[in-house]
Amino acid sequence: MIPLEYFLGLSALLFFAGAYGVLTSRNAIVVLMAIEIMLNAANINFVAFSAYAPQLFGNPDATGQVFALFSIAIAAAEVAVGLAIFLSVFRRHGTIELDKISLLRW
Amino acid sequence: MAFTGKRTPEGGAYLAIGTAGGAGLLSALVIWEVLTDPSVIATPVIQEITWLRVGGFDLTFGIYLDQLAVVMLAVVAIVGTLVVIYSVGYMHQEGPTRPRYYAEISLFIGVMYGLVLASNYLFLYIFWELVGLCSYLLIGFWYERPAAAAAAKRAFIVTRVGDISLLVGLIILFTQAGTLSFSTLFDEAARPPIDPGIFTLATALIFGGAIGKSAQFPLHEWLPDAMEGPSTVSALIHAATMVKAGIYLVARTYPLLIETPDALLIVAAIGGITAFLAATEAVAANDIKRVIAFSTISQLGLMILALGAGGYVLAVGASGESEGYTAGIFHLLNHAFFKALMFLGAGSVIHAIHTNDLHAMGGLGRTMRITATTMMLGGLSLAGIPPLSGFWSKDEVLLSVYSAGSVHGLFYLLWLLGLLTSLLTAFYMFRLWFLAFSGKPRAGHAGKESPPVMTVPLLILGSLAAISGLILLLPNGIATFLHYSELGLGTGPTVAPFDRLTEIFAEPLNLLSIGVGVLGIGLAYAVYARGWIARAPFATGGLGRIQTMLRERYYLSWFYDAVGTYGMYGLARAVDWFDLHVIDGVVNGVAWVSVRGGRSLRRLQTGLVQAYAGMIVIGVCGLLILLFFLLPALGWS
Repeated sequence: MIPLEYFLGLSALLFFAGAYGVLTSRNAIVVLMAIEIMLNAANINFVAFSAYAPQLFGNPDATGQVFALFSIAIAAAEVAVGLAIFLSVFRRHGTIELDKISLLRW
Repeated sequence: MAFTGKRTPEGGAYLAIGTAGGAGLLSALVIWEVLTDPSVIATPVIQEITWLRVGGFDLTFGIYLDQLAVVMLAVVAIVGTLVVIYSVGYMHQEGPTRPRYYAEISLFIGVMYGLVLASNYLFLYIFWELVGLCSYLLIGFWYERPAAAAAAKRAFIVTRVGDISLLVGLIILFTQAGTLSFSTLFDEAARPPIDPGIFTLATALIFGGAIGKSAQFPLHEWLPDAMEGPSTVSALIHAATMVKAGIYLVARTYPLLIETPDALLIVAAIGGITAFLAATEAVAANDIKRVIAFSTISQLGLMILALGAGGYVLAVGASGESEGYTAGIFHLLNHAFFKALMFLGAGSVIHAIHTNDLHAMGGLGRTMRITATTMMLGGLSLAGIPPLSGFWSKDEVLLSVYSAGSVHGLFYLLWLLGLLTSLLTAFYMFRLWFLAFSGKPRAGHAGKESPPVMTVPLLILGSLAAISGLILLLPNGIATFLHYSELGLGTGPTVAPFDRLTEIFAEPLNLLSIGVGVLGIGLAYAVYARGWIARAPFATGGLGRIQTMLRERYYLSWFYDAVGTYGMYGLARAVDWFDLHVIDGVVNGVAWVSVRGGRSLRRLQTGLVQAYAGMIVIGVCGLLILLFFLLPALGWS
């Protein structure tokens, strides 16, 4: 099997890709997609540890895979809420470009 | 009186006379009891009640009655009552401001009684301050006049300097001895031991208070200016009572001063210098009240000189008694009478012709007979002509100083100053009399005599001035009554009148001072009454400059004003600059930092979500680096 570190590295790369997207996108929907990428990166992490459990801890352990399932469900719920928020923002400002929305400033 | 005065006749005068007279009567009763049975005050009568208890320390309020207090009571009672009676006439046309005057005068008489009867230094100090307050109020009675208001302020501030000295002295005494009560402090056995150096400092500072209150050099400048007040105020406060409070303090502190001979040297020196200085200034003064004011300062100087000299002799053990004590207090008694007389007489003159300037007066002797005669009596007494009172006490003063000379050479010099002062005193007093009462009227009219309510007190004081000296001659006279020995104040040996008379007139020094007095009067007569010696050469050239200097009071007031304006005001401005720029600078600086800091920090709040998210990411990364890389490197796990 490929060493565990490669999975962790992939997960890290994906996480930073998602973070970059969150921080720099102008479109709010794209920010949501980037958040999804970050969540998936975390999922990869969970599943990798679960697959390598016998080597690391001695017994097989399915906890990681169960966490990943939870995480997917939560991600879905979160996107729904996020879209609802963006709808309200659109109604208020007429745009969802994030650099135009800065009322709570000095 | 301040509240009801407007509705009472004469603006509350009769009420004031009633209260002053009542107090006088009580004093008279006390004095009578003491005189008929001297054993009553073989030991001082003390009656006290505990006023305050503070953690083991008791503060008592009470009366301390001994021979000294009896003499002071006599002075305050007689002069006080007479002055209030005289005020009815003098202040008659003041109208609606009279209740304030009578209230203030009554307050003054009240606190003066308190001062002489106080049984510990704390209450003496309280009444001391109150007396100063009354003086301020009364000098500034006509406060709409800027000169009067300024004079009142000056009096209060200058005496304040003395008061602070007194307070510091009392505090030192208290911290050293633990008590301020006379009975404990004066009893050597009961008093805790005090380091001599600190003791000298304390007594010298206490004398500092007397310097302020009794207008001695260098705090004498307030008294001439205090003449802005009514003449009755000058008579009562600045001749007979308040300024005597300083002398009283020195006499009262005698048991402590005896322990510190060096302080007594200072006392005597200041007394002598003041006496001479003020006498020279009186020669050149043109205002009738100023001449008398300088005379007061000068005579007070003589009293202090006597107290100092007498005390020194006793302190160093050269003599078993303090002649100077008796002489000084005797002179206090006599001086109160004839100085009050002079001031009231001057008031009478001012009341008649409405001017203070001596050179605008003249020829008043013909029309104001009673005033002229009583002032002549006062002048003769002040010049020291027997058998008037001034002679007896002034000679005792000079004798005591001369005899102290054998102990310490300085006293010979001070005696000489005293003698010269006597010469000048006779001269300037009769200069005043001749300028005011003889010759041709220069004011255009000669005025008329004052009403009886004013002349009767003058007559009473005049007779007192004439005869009060004779109590020296009684077998149990003043020298026996006020005898200060190593054992303290007590009764001395009785001397038959004839013996005392021969003793006095056989002493060449006494004859010398009589001669000096006559010489002074003669010179005044020659210059001012007959014009045998011209005055013009004295007004110009070198002598003229001396005259100007004397008139300007040795430029001392100018000097004090300069110190005040440049020194104190400059210091005040420097402190103000410091307060404004440094202290406020710090406070404002803190505020400025906060405001600017806030203004820069608020820029962080851009309102952009992504910026905030970025800050979170950077923060988390920083924390991780810190925890896993930096801190382990520094040894923290």
